[in-house]
Amino acid sequence: MVVFALFIISKAGGLIYNREFHTGMSKLTSNDYLMLAGSFHGMHAITKQLCPAPPQPANPSSTAAVLAPSPFSSRPSGLEVLESSHFRMQCFQTLTGTKFLLFTEPQQPNIDTMMKKIYELYTDYVMKNPFYTVEMPIRCEKFDRGLDGFVKVRS
Amino acid sequence: MVLYSFYIFDRHTECIYSRRWTPRPVSSSGKNARPQSGSSIGTDGDGQGRKGMSAADDEKLIFGLVFSLRNMVQKLGGEDDTFLSYRTGEYKLHYYETPTRMKFVMLTDTKQNNLRPYLHQIWANLYVEFVVKNPLAPVEHPGGVGVANEMFERGLETFIVAVLPA
Repeated sequence: MVVFALFIISKAGGLIYNREFHTGMSKLTSNDYLMLAGSFHGMHAITKQLCPAPPQPANPSSTAAVLAPSPFSSRPSGLEVLESSHFRMQCFQTLTGTKFLLFTEPQQPNIDTMMKKIYELYTDYVMKNPFYTVEMPIRCEKFDRGLDGFVKVRS
Repeated sequence: MVLYSFYIFDRHTECIYSRRWTPRPVSSSGKNARPQSGSSIGTDGDGQGRKGMSAADDEKLIFGLVFSLRNMVQKLGGEDDTFLSYRTGEYKLHYYETPTRMKFVMLTDTKQNNLRPYLHQIWANLYVEFVVKNPLAPVEHPGGVGVANEMFERGLETFIVAVLPA
């Protein structure tokens, strides 16, 4: 069970957190990560646009509905899972537009619960941190340590 | 299972074949083979409440999207990594790229497993057989010339009915 990395993208498309837990993905410069985060933000919006059928109202099994029940149930959700031959990327978008990208092995089970736990850590240690400015890069030791403990225990 | 649409893009970023199956029986008669797809702009369209989006716009968006996703995947996972599919809450997009950079894209509902082997079969058994080996078809297919021939269309129809039961 391997978790490669976690990215957090702000609602404006900026990369505000970037953490690698396990080697296995290419090493990129921080500029490249910023660029990827920005382009992913755009691609996520396009995947919403491309929705061929109107979304089903109330789909209790989807990640977003479980983590954050939306009052706008008829809006299409963007990209949720991306699969490639080397990794699997789970994207969770909060109601305020912040996106959490979690890169794992292709056959990883229970990513939903993991994402939920990471979101909990984020709300506890980042959002409740009085010294954190929203939309700014996250530098929060407790959040780092929480993630470390959580990811290492599971792997 | 629900199949929404199927696209073939050539190496010049052009959509040379597109086909849409809408789940509602009302509009399923509108078979949009690529040569005619330009004529249906904004008229019956896809009727999903997206204002001003034509079928051609969809094709361009899908091409740009899979192109960027493919590049992103290669950047993150290394040169030998390939993009397979993505899923949103409403649909799933499957992707297959041939060594000649032709791209096969299929949109289905979210419950499908990866359709990459099927897309490969469409390429190997239908595209190569009926389009590439057709002596009357040109080498390149600008505007989709020579792709949507009768054999290919019929083969695709049979293949989909056979391997993807409704």
